[in-house]
Amino acid sequence: MKLHFAGLLAAVSLGAMSLATPAFAQVTLKIWSIDGVDRVGIADTFSKEFDEANEDIVVEYRAIPFDDLVNETLRAFATGNAPDIVSFDNPDFALFSSRGAMLDITDRVANSSVIKAENYFQGPLNSVSWDGKLFGIPKYTDTIGVFYNKDLFAKAGITEPPKTWAQLTEYAEKLTDPANNVYGATFSARAGEEGTFQFLPIIQMSGGGYDNVATDGAAEVLDLWKKMVDNGWASKDVLSLGQWDSTGTFNSGNAAMAISGPWEVDRMVEDAKFDWGVALLPTITEGGERSSALGGFDWGIMSTTKHPDEAFRALEYFASQDNRIFAEFGSIPARSDIELPVTGVEKKDAALKVFLEQLQYAQPRGPHPEWQKISKAIYDAMQQALTGQMSSKDALAQAQTTINGILGK
Amino acid sequence: MRRFLASLRDGVGFDILLVGAAMVFLIAMAGLPLIYNVLMSFQQVDMFTLGSLIRPWAGFQNYIDVVREPAFWLVTKNTFIFVFFSMGGQFIIGFALALFFAQNFPGASTIRGLFLVSWVMPGLVVGAIWSWILAGDFGVLNTILKGLGIIQSNVFWKSDPAFSIWAVVIANIWLGLAFNMLLLSVGLAAIPRDLYEAAELDGANAFQRFWTITLPMMRSTIGAVLSLGLIGTLQQFDLFPAITEGGPANTSTVAQYWSWQMSFQLYDFAKGATISVMMLVLVLIASIIYVRSTRHEVRG
Repeated sequence: MKLHFAGLLAAVSLGAMSLATPAFAQVTLKIWSIDGVDRVGIADTFSKEFDEANEDIVVEYRAIPFDDLVNETLRAFATGNAPDIVSFDNPDFALFSSRGAMLDITDRVANSSVIKAENYFQGPLNSVSWDGKLFGIPKYTDTIGVFYNKDLFAKAGITEPPKTWAQLTEYAEKLTDPANNVYGATFSARAGEEGTFQFLPIIQMSGGGYDNVATDGAAEVLDLWKKMVDNGWASKDVLSLGQWDSTGTFNSGNAAMAISGPWEVDRMVEDAKFDWGVALLPTITEGGERSSALGGFDWGIMSTTKHPDEAFRALEYFASQDNRIFAEFGSIPARSDIELPVTGVEKKDAALKVFLEQLQYAQPRGPHPEWQKISKAIYDAMQQALTGQMSSKDALAQAQTTINGILGK
Repeated sequence: MRRFLASLRDGVGFDILLVGAAMVFLIAMAGLPLIYNVLMSFQQVDMFTLGSLIRPWAGFQNYIDVVREPAFWLVTKNTFIFVFFSMGGQFIIGFALALFFAQNFPGASTIRGLFLVSWVMPGLVVGAIWSWILAGDFGVLNTILKGLGIIQSNVFWKSDPAFSIWAVVIANIWLGLAFNMLLLSVGLAAIPRDLYEAAELDGANAFQRFWTITLPMMRSTIGAVLSLGLIGTLQQFDLFPAITEGGPANTSTVAQYWSWQMSFQLYDFAKGATISVMMLVLVLIASIIYVRSTRHEVRG
């Protein structure tokens, strides 16, 4: 009887201990990102690894579709249910950092042995900076260049990829072959962020920026784009196709050149039944100023977090795994200190080389807290000019007026 | 007290209780959000004040800003085109089909039932399918039109500013057709047969019978169908992101899509609310006209 009682007591105390252990040490981190919605990505994989490697931390990971991420986070922040860590597309980051919704991690990064600000490329780093302070770290980066079909180029007697936009237009005319359903070029001039992504670099090449869009050079190139669309050297559907679908027509041999980025490479290696290469984005004049779009996501800790130390540990873990993201997910780390491995796929390695060079010229969109409105002014102008509703000059001038209003000039 | 309880069980109190339950539900689910929305259109709203009720007052500034937007008149024009032609198309074709299936040929009711398939489908799915049909370079519709020799070169339904709004109108007519047909069929079935027999005996031809019997007898049904059609078209949203995304250059943006864009793409919640209040006024005017037009109805 006594023994029985002692056994019972032991069982109860054991049970109490196992109940108590997690309660006194565990911290829950909520991490949100778009990874894992349609395929496995960086955030979901690393969050799970971090969760398993740390006994004291439980990670609640949530995958949110791209279109809902900012809205969902805004709503959660407004109602006090914000995640601890979130990963935004780089132009969206300033919307949060500029209004104090992100945690200032300047000092933490300065004291960190894992995350070093000087290792990151300048463009991506700018997107997480606001007012001289650091509010996050870049997750990965990408940019755009020109894919070209070498077989079709040879057939048309063209030896080199285009160096200027005028050349690209001229080649597009030569390469167009309506009998075989081949357009000379394809790009994305869609009414959305992708449209701005592809057109803003041209404004930047002409000496402008998001705050100064009505440049002569930008109007000149916009006229060239319009010429391509009007003459059927590019499909009219460039106005509604996203980059992924637009480049799909290149892969199937229906366009001889395509403007897009490194995320296309894996699919192209699979789908394209011809020889292809990548060239830097053309310039306005030969040897003129270069620019390109800067894509990619950023990591940030939200200012409402109750566990900033643990959240920063998570960021450190993510940053320490940056050398894996190219091989495993095809994403380019936004860091100069990581040597990318050779994959052995000849075209892929060649393409990556060009994109790495292109990245040196990549410039961020913004950062500005009202980036989405600025972006809309830019893609609206681009579409108005391409559809002939306004001249390129007038459309860009109207966009400038709208942007001045947003910037409070 | 006892009389109060008695009236609750059987009397005025019971009526008030029933009406009250409905009113509470209406106020909570429709009234408060509506007031909140109207309030928001007079305030400055940003990320930090999204969760609070009291915000800096903006007066009519949001309304002035919306009207001054470069796209405002284009969107207004598009909204009227979209509403007028969607409703017109749905109603006329729906009425024609309803009359056709009222002829009681073998299989009429089965085929009429099959038409409902289009109505059951979610807008996004319909949008995706029409998006393929209307695609420019490899679209089904272009292939058919070319095969028939109606067009020589491809029509870029989704990317040509002259066609983009019509692309969505076509898809919306298809989507709303079955609903119109069904309601009108019900109205047709309610007309007593003997009226037609009497008219036939008096020598009225088919057109006269339609004009003097069918249309007048259908008056209230037609009013209901048109006002529901107006509400249905004004809340039609799914087709826009699926087909044109409001492009190119806003040529297919309508008020409801614009309002969504303002709130959830540009994060300008005040302007989004302002546009929806403007739409509300439009619907109110239409419903007043509807109510007045059916008030003096003489029912036989």
